[in-house]
Amino acid sequence: MPEFLAEPFMQRALLMVLALGPVCGLLGVFVTARRMSFFSDTVSHAALTGVAAGFLAGFEDPTVPVLAFCILVAVALLWLRERTRLLNDTLMAVLLSLSVALGVVLLSMQSNRRGELDRFLLGDVLSVSWTDVGLAAGSSLLIASVLLFFLNPLVLLTAHEDLAHVAGVRVRLMNYGFAILLTLAVSLSIRALGILLVTSLIVLPPAIARAFSPNLRRHLILSFAAGLVGSAGGVMLSYPFNLPTGPTVSLTMGALFCASVIAGHFQPRASSSSPRA
Amino acid sequence: MNSTPAIEVRDARVRLGDTDVLRGVSMAVPRGKLVALIGPNGSGKTTLLRCLLGLQHLDSGEVLLLGEPVGPAVLRRIGYVPQRLQIESSFALSVREFLSLRRRETRHWFWHRNSTTDSLLHQQLPELGIESLLNRPLAGLSGGQLQRVLIAYSLLGEPELLLLDEPTAGVDTPGEQDFHDLISRIHARLGITIVLVSHDLGMVFKQASWVYALNGVICCEGRPADVLNAESLKAAYGLHVTPYQHHHHRLAPGPGTASPITFKRR
Repeated sequence: MPEFLAEPFMQRALLMVLALGPVCGLLGVFVTARRMSFFSDTVSHAALTGVAAGFLAGFEDPTVPVLAFCILVAVALLWLRERTRLLNDTLMAVLLSLSVALGVVLLSMQSNRRGELDRFLLGDVLSVSWTDVGLAAGSSLLIASVLLFFLNPLVLLTAHEDLAHVAGVRVRLMNYGFAILLTLAVSLSIRALGILLVTSLIVLPPAIARAFSPNLRRHLILSFAAGLVGSAGGVMLSYPFNLPTGPTVSLTMGALFCASVIAGHFQPRASSSSPRA
Repeated sequence: MNSTPAIEVRDARVRLGDTDVLRGVSMAVPRGKLVALIGPNGSGKTTLLRCLLGLQHLDSGEVLLLGEPVGPAVLRRIGYVPQRLQIESSFALSVREFLSLRRRETRHWFWHRNSTTDSLLHQQLPELGIESLLNRPLAGLSGGQLQRVLIAYSLLGEPELLLLDEPTAGVDTPGEQDFHDLISRIHARLGITIVLVSHDLGMVFKQASWVYALNGVICCEGRPADVLNAESLKAAYGLHVTPYQHHHHRLAPGPGTASPITFKRR
């Protein structure tokens, strides 16, 4: 057994990212196709207010307030999108800046908690408990099951909303449902990668996989695999080099992305595939 | 044959912002006909189409599709071909996977081998002429190819009514001719009701057996030869247009027509 696996905190860290990385990879396929990368960024930044409000309300572990505030921001975003003429980008920038500002103000009221800020900004996967790991594993299982169960409506919705409506898909419900699943994954992954880097766990796996994916099935499988390899690889590499774990996960995925771009460049175009993809 | 109209619109009114987009539209499209809905920009074509699909609520009036109010049950019996699909190149959905979404037998495409999916789709595929596109990503198709795939997708649902929104938008001239042939074949073989919502008056003249000219209300309706004349079009388009021979597009004349036509402003 590798030396680092003898350490319980490393075991927990590895299991945590193994639970979250692949599922974030699955979600990422739809996030990138639906141009929602900035959405996950907005939601993750909203976590700052969740953390600050949680501490202010006396929570030692702010997971629940983080989740609640992230979902609130995600739903507010969708609601505003339906009811205003403002562009998505504008709404996301408004909510992102407001929630960060509110979070910083709330944290400033608690001088004893300022040190906690780094933990949530950059992640601290080495400090997760077995309860955190269990919660991440259970949630990931739930997210993956719901995604696969609603795969066809989600694919159709991603292709064309009106076409999905005609096919009987409840478009609004699906949009809200997907946003909540994404928010759940993002808020749980903040413990691993932090508010600043969590989007990389969502966006990089599908970007790595795209060059080798002539179809959606392969894209989903490879994105799942890239999430798994990138996140586990990052945790394992951080130990011997004594690097911060969250950023190492992002850098490992970044390295895989660069390799995929180069490999993709020398590959025949993915558009014409073999019959058995 | 069922005598209920395929589409029945009664005094439909829709106000969007400060504009009365539909001001009492009434029409009845008989079953089995290939009809066209024409009108200038802002005439309410898209709004009317959205009402038919249940995407736009009416302020007043009524829409019946195949004799039923618009709802999930009746929408499953219609096919809809949108004007365009703006698919991100990051979305790797292939034509095979897209078509698989339409059939109950192929809904487990993610778990099936491609050959299994193909054999399930095979009965319909040859006639649609898209076998060579099955492995291609939807995002990489040309306008004409995408149009064929969208029609194939609709037909796989065995619709009783097919609604096509600006079907030749983004299709080049040879592609238009292929498209005309495809629509004619589909209509002749399946005998389903087809509604073309189109700016392309040449296509309307060639293909449709009945034309509705819309400009907030149905200004006129009738056979193409009766509707596509200067007076009727002035009522619909609000400007004087006259048919003229278009020398640049060598479209074959449609049945009963002397020549393909388009229109020019005076």
